[in-house]
Amino acid sequence: MNAAPVEMWDGLLGTLHGLIAVSDTAIILYFLAINTGYLVLILLALGELVRRVRRAPFAGYEDAATSPFTPPISVIMPAYNEAAGITEAVRAMLLLHYPVLEVIVVDDGSTDGTLEALTDAFGLAEVDHVVTEDVPVRGKVTSLHLPRGGPIPVVVARKANGGKADALNVGINLARYPLVCMVDADSILDSQALLAVAKPFGDDPLRVVATGGVVGIANGCTIEAGRVAEVHVPPDLLGRAQVVEYLRGFFLGRTGWSKIGGLLIIAGAFGLFRRDAVVAVGGMDPDCIGEDAELVVRLHRHLREQGLGHRDYRIVFVTEPISWSEAPSSLRVLGRQRRRWQRGLTEILLKHRRLIGNPRYGRVGLTALPFYVLFELMAPLVELAGLVLVPLGVLLGAVDTDFLLRFLLAAYAYAMVVSLVSVAVEEYAYHRFSRWRDVWGAFVGVVVENLGYRQFTAWWRLRGMWDALRGAPRVWGAMSRSGFGTTRRETEGGGRA
Amino acid sequence: MISLGLVTQALLYLMTVGLVLSLLITGIRGVRGYRRRRRRRLAAPVRGLLLELLCAQDDDQEALIDRIAHTDKKTWAALEPTVAAMLGKVSGRARTALVRLYERHGSLAQAVADLRSRSAPRRGRAAQVLGRLQYRRAAPALCRLLDDRDHEVRMAAARALGRLADPLAVPHLLDSLHGARTVPPTTITAAVASMGREAWSPVAAGLGDPAPLVRAVAIEVLGVTGAIARTPELVHVLRADPDLEVRIRAARALGRLGMPEGLEPLLAAIRPGQPVALRIVAAGALGRLGAVAATRALTELLGDDRPHLAATAARALLRLGPAGETALREAADDRSDGGAAAQARAALAEAAVGGTRYDVLAEVAL
Repeated sequence: MNAAPVEMWDGLLGTLHGLIAVSDTAIILYFLAINTGYLVLILLALGELVRRVRRAPFAGYEDAATSPFTPPISVIMPAYNEAAGITEAVRAMLLLHYPVLEVIVVDDGSTDGTLEALTDAFGLAEVDHVVTEDVPVRGKVTSLHLPRGGPIPVVVARKANGGKADALNVGINLARYPLVCMVDADSILDSQALLAVAKPFGDDPLRVVATGGVVGIANGCTIEAGRVAEVHVPPDLLGRAQVVEYLRGFFLGRTGWSKIGGLLIIAGAFGLFRRDAVVAVGGMDPDCIGEDAELVVRLHRHLREQGLGHRDYRIVFVTEPISWSEAPSSLRVLGRQRRRWQRGLTEILLKHRRLIGNPRYGRVGLTALPFYVLFELMAPLVELAGLVLVPLGVLLGAVDTDFLLRFLLAAYAYAMVVSLVSVAVEEYAYHRFSRWRDVWGAFVGVVVENLGYRQFTAWWRLRGMWDALRGAPRVWGAMSRSGFGTTRRETEGGGRA
Repeated sequence: MISLGLVTQALLYLMTVGLVLSLLITGIRGVRGYRRRRRRRLAAPVRGLLLELLCAQDDDQEALIDRIAHTDKKTWAALEPTVAAMLGKVSGRARTALVRLYERHGSLAQAVADLRSRSAPRRGRAAQVLGRLQYRRAAPALCRLLDDRDHEVRMAAARALGRLADPLAVPHLLDSLHGARTVPPTTITAAVASMGREAWSPVAAGLGDPAPLVRAVAIEVLGVTGAIARTPELVHVLRADPDLEVRIRAARALGRLGMPEGLEPLLAAIRPGQPVALRIVAAGALGRLGAVAATRALTELLGDDRPHLAATAARALLRLGPAGETALREAADDRSDGGAAAQARAALAEAAVGGTRYDVLAEVAL
């Protein structure tokens, strides 16, 4: 037998062993880095929460609720086939604790009688209209409807179907107040929600251009008269994992980013913007599937490039518990949602790639966007690579099994500690969960989120990334709602949290 | 290279941290629940006395105040949030009784002392309490707090000063609009406006302030509080102020005041060549003024190529009564000017269903 091929084979095998060993170490270090990143954000958030909680007793909400100087708000609610719940949703908005607001419903070409439901409920009459195109729209307004008799501040516009972003653009054009609040038709807001999310505009009117509110998971909660009356952790594992994920990633993560001026995402389910700022950047991008986050990144970009009258600006995340959305309760729906979110993120990062690592864009360019590229965009790729390479390394004997096992355990324990810190911070600051068993449910969620849930979502997110890269057709998925007044509903969980 | 021992140690450490965190969460929750129950238990007997106090006649009040005020520290701590909430909800004799209760217990003196506390939350809460008690003697200390290093405390102090309604505080409140430590204009406007006509004189002095923000707030307050005697000064500001935002506020205030002297300067403000934002607000103000003499000028704006201006003019015409409506109908029937006709039809259609959207869309940055 010739010795040369054997030596070559041994050499190749040795190289492979080395590569796999290095990859495994890199993956585990990546895992540690991502969790350290979250931990830093959570600790930043903790400082902010302590400050806000201690000042809450004299925050002045009572005065703002009755003051004629509180800036009025146009609430924009895009609706597509929302006949089941739209009436209750509008009523709930009208009952929010806020001095002056109007609700603009944009019926995006519904075919299920959404407009008819609103007409019956509010006694709408069609009126002649002139809609100013401050931001460009694709589907023109075909009819405008106002309540007969006047005092109800509701405007309903019917337009040709053009997607959520286009419907929001129509709403922006119709808005007559300086602040526009974008909400999903299935969002459930706390009664103080608008006061909380508008407070930064009153506190710092020269600099604040947008605020985002916390979005909680409504699954399992008791809902009465369009409000969340009691907060519970859902009984199913999927719901529990999402509760912990929302706490860590969306609530505390965004609070941390807001603290350092790097907030990139304001949930489509509930965000408040200065209308003039949104008009200045051309409104929502109807070609981007993550239009809510894209708007925020574009605002950063625009304000950094143009300057807001040569002044500093702020985009703020409000930590008070204010908005509730239904999270997917089946793997199929969750999969579609995460695929769509990751696709949106990929499109945004590709579209605004010039900002990444660019010092001109300050912390957004140098910190927030690189973090999103490394730990949000690449995470599913690394996670799935780990699922393949780590067992392969063990099989090929490239890494010491005992060492790897303990390293993995330490890495997952670290992730769980980070999630537990999130639960602890929530319990300290807002303690929303009303029962002990909700806390136990959150503990279960901490485990499930790290062992199983993340790996599942990694696969869907990877597919979303691939969709964006190959330019697959955009699919929004059909919504199925049974309306407010019930404690649990099956939805697509359409909006970004 | 990371050693196995180090990884094992890290794992053990993390497991300990996880256990501690779990205990911490349950501990926080348990302690909170215990405290809540204890507060309820402590406050329950005194809460009945508090309700009696709110309904009592003058003769009976003193005895009740004594009984409540001499409760121990823990009971008062449990009851105080209820008393504070009541302060904002009751008036007259009941309110006076609560104020005396604060005095008798020593909480008022404590709040005054807390204004100098090192803790920002304590200073803020003290300011809030003193405002609710309308304790005017605390005004100088609260004015000093307008320069506090904590933003929320400064705002609480401003709100408290608004409740005290001491016009001597107005210059301090206006001063706090600029400088290194500022208070937001909406808070100052609300505070000064709540003082009513007593504040007109010091507020009018703010019209001559070099800072545009101070002038803008002064104008807003004068307009909202109906200071009709100050109309000539507002007219002057609308005509001559170098700052656009200030002129916009003056136009809006003149509309609110509704005095005939406002007509000419507002008509001048809607003429071509003036900034669009000012023209829009002035058009809305003319509608609010309700002067029929503005009909022609507003009708001419219906065909303006700036749609927000045209839309505002159409709604303003509706507010002028029959003359404005007639002008709108004529414009709606006029086939030579499509834009004006559409605006007129839209305004008339809104009026027909009683849903006219009068609010003026103009972005004012101040």
